[in-house]
Amino acid sequence: MGKSQKLTVSSDSPGSTMYLLGNAAIARGAIEAGVQVVTAYPGTPSSEITETLIEAAAAIPGMYVEWSVNEKVAMEVALGASICGVRSMAIMKSVGVNVAHDPLMTASYMPVKPNSGFVLVDADDPSQWSSQTEQDNRYIAEHAYLPVLEPSTVQEAKDMMKSAFDLSEEFGQMFMLRTVTRISHAHSDVRLGEIKKDKPQGFFERDLQYTCVPEYSRRNRTTMLDRFKKIKEAANDMPWNELSLVGGAKLGVVACGISYAYAIEALRWMGLEDKTSVLKIGTPHPLPERLVRQLLESVGLVLVVEEVEPFVENHVRIIANSAAITTPIHGKDVVPIQFELSVRKVCEAISKVTGVSTPVDFAAIDEAVKEPKALTPSRPPTLCTGCPHRASYYAINRAMRKVKEDLGEHIYTGDIGCYSLAIYPPLDGCDIATCMGSGFGLANGVARASKRPVLGTLGDSTFFHSGMPAMVNAVFNNTRITMVVLDNSATAMTGFQPHPGTGVTAMGEQTTRIDPEDVARACKVPFVAVIDPFEVKHSIEVLEDAIRFEGPALVVSRRPCEIIAASQRRRNGEQIQPYYVDRDVCTKCDLCIDALGCPAILVDGGDIMIDRTECAGCGVCAQICPVKAIKQDGGK
Amino acid sequence: MICGVGGQGVVTMSELLGSAAVGDGQRVKGSEILGMAQRGGRVVSSVRIGGRAVAPLTPETACDVMLAAEPSEVLHYLGYLNKDSLVILNMRRLIPYTVVLGESKYPDLETIMNLLSVTGVKVVTLDATRIASDAGNKRTTNMVMLGALFGSGRVPIRVETIKSVISERFGVRVAQLNHKAFDLGYDLAKSAL
Repeated sequence: MGKSQKLTVSSDSPGSTMYLLGNAAIARGAIEAGVQVVTAYPGTPSSEITETLIEAAAAIPGMYVEWSVNEKVAMEVALGASICGVRSMAIMKSVGVNVAHDPLMTASYMPVKPNSGFVLVDADDPSQWSSQTEQDNRYIAEHAYLPVLEPSTVQEAKDMMKSAFDLSEEFGQMFMLRTVTRISHAHSDVRLGEIKKDKPQGFFERDLQYTCVPEYSRRNRTTMLDRFKKIKEAANDMPWNELSLVGGAKLGVVACGISYAYAIEALRWMGLEDKTSVLKIGTPHPLPERLVRQLLESVGLVLVVEEVEPFVENHVRIIANSAAITTPIHGKDVVPIQFELSVRKVCEAISKVTGVSTPVDFAAIDEAVKEPKALTPSRPPTLCTGCPHRASYYAINRAMRKVKEDLGEHIYTGDIGCYSLAIYPPLDGCDIATCMGSGFGLANGVARASKRPVLGTLGDSTFFHSGMPAMVNAVFNNTRITMVVLDNSATAMTGFQPHPGTGVTAMGEQTTRIDPEDVARACKVPFVAVIDPFEVKHSIEVLEDAIRFEGPALVVSRRPCEIIAASQRRRNGEQIQPYYVDRDVCTKCDLCIDALGCPAILVDGGDIMIDRTECAGCGVCAQICPVKAIKQDGGK
Repeated sequence: MICGVGGQGVVTMSELLGSAAVGDGQRVKGSEILGMAQRGGRVVSSVRIGGRAVAPLTPETACDVMLAAEPSEVLHYLGYLNKDSLVILNMRRLIPYTVVLGESKYPDLETIMNLLSVTGVKVVTLDATRIASDAGNKRTTNMVMLGALFGSGRVPIRVETIKSVISERFGVRVAQLNHKAFDLGYDLAKSAL
């Protein structure tokens, strides 16, 4: 490691070693491939790929990176650039691919020209650490005839990213790199490769195979099927698939992606490493059929190890079936279908099919730790102290209380973002939520079936992502709902990426800032208002008016994310004045605890107190205290 | 393994440790398990130094050292320890809001220590948060912990290397503060063992 010059992901120093996050390694792979246009929408576990590329962009001439408004647009922007002759990629999380599914299907039909490699990076999230589904996008890839590379290590993630561009151009086909949380959010030493420096100027030639009218897309389908056949044959010789046959081995293991890492460690731990044939799968779609057959024919029993769905397993079964091979195949009968795998889970699966006992008695460990685990307090993630969302939901709840007698009990439709945490008590700010944009979309439907007042919330980034069409739908169909945009000037949950409402691009350039209220007015929403959630009383009044309004109403609740505000204060050398509870005045009515749920407000021996080190000084609790017992330091 | 609560610097400690290991020419694998949102949730990470590790997360019973930034959190990971493991425990409690609302309970420190002693592991306790505050900044708590880890002599990384990684990451002024906190943790663990 060179001491003189700091090594970064943009360093042109092949052979050097860096400690990289999986997502940073993927970014490095794209840099090495000489990618020219990068598009993405933030989403865990994919966001750091784009963030790393944005950071590196200044040092990499000819690389453009953007946060697109949503995944569908990201896919289209990258495809448009690829059609014009430059290497392009779109990056998104598992469920983001659902949003991009429409252009994805057509893009896969279209041929990729030389120097125009086109790659989708899909980050799946087994265990649903931060996703609404545990979906396995290898199925989406299969549906679209999209070849998939799937790394088993962080090093391979980098190498495969680069390779995906080469393969895309070699076969004239869009490719997909599938990463998972345990690759994207893993670290490893990574050996850097060479950076491709020549970046051709994009050019456009009219060619109607890049249109989607049936005449051309039928032809495209034919050529796509033909390409796929060639890729299927070539998969047998791709370095990402590796067959290690052990003479006389009874057990054969097929392991895909991260599961290969678990399988290798499990076999070693059980002392079976030298007695087992292993087929490492780096191209789950299409599988290397010849290698699969070879393994099936050389062992007495095959175990397919993969996370989530039996994608490889099913294809292995098809291959066995069509070749009339009767070797018993195990997979999801012993490998869990839900949640991430681990070395332990693979040990247990191997033990079940071989009868070899596990290296340690895992069940005994589970039993021994059950009680200590149960003693730990539950720690659901909470909205931060000083979070404007808490104030917004407080105001929404209070406004709904005021209208309850006239309009009935409220129904809240919600969305994806930090504010999803308002689902928990005491805010209880969400009753139904499905996906990005659902805060407004679902509200439209609930209002058609229920007479109760319906209020939908979503964030500022989400508003631009997919909230706008649902808002227009409410105006178009004259649906009586209250739509609240929780505008904290950031895509906070995924790490503060800019969006159309922030006035800054991914590359840090100033741009036109679009305000949700202006969009709403332009779309003729008949009731539009803006509130500051830290002005509690005013917020409640405005929200009550919006809820009582007999038509679609939109309220923008605007206040920057506290994490951004706090870092600004630190930069400016400003101190906050924390609040405290005057015990002589406090009547212990518990309103601040029961209605706000701020982590800085504690109960200490029956008394309510504020943790000064946690208090962010927002003053919302002081405003709601009915006896004015909460006061600010420095005596205001 | 390093465990704690979101906001305590678990991820930062892991990254520094991994970078230092690579700086010393070691192979490293690691990963963090963290829930959604910025703060407050349970966080645990593995840093696996040496060529034998393939998977990013430490399997059950294979943890050599557990650095616990919060005392009750260690109870979640007892299954990863073995009789030769060392636990370095920050005794400063972080009480979650669920306890304030009366929805869950926080175990007393004695219970935690008893449960640890049953496993037979070696334990070093410290109030890293106080040490950091006394030294000038509560935010350097994770550096005190990291120092204690190196003071235990259980990591195959040179102290100069981790210190230069800290300097590189934080810049001179903050790094000085961090080095000071690191040294305090280092000395404490060294004399305790």
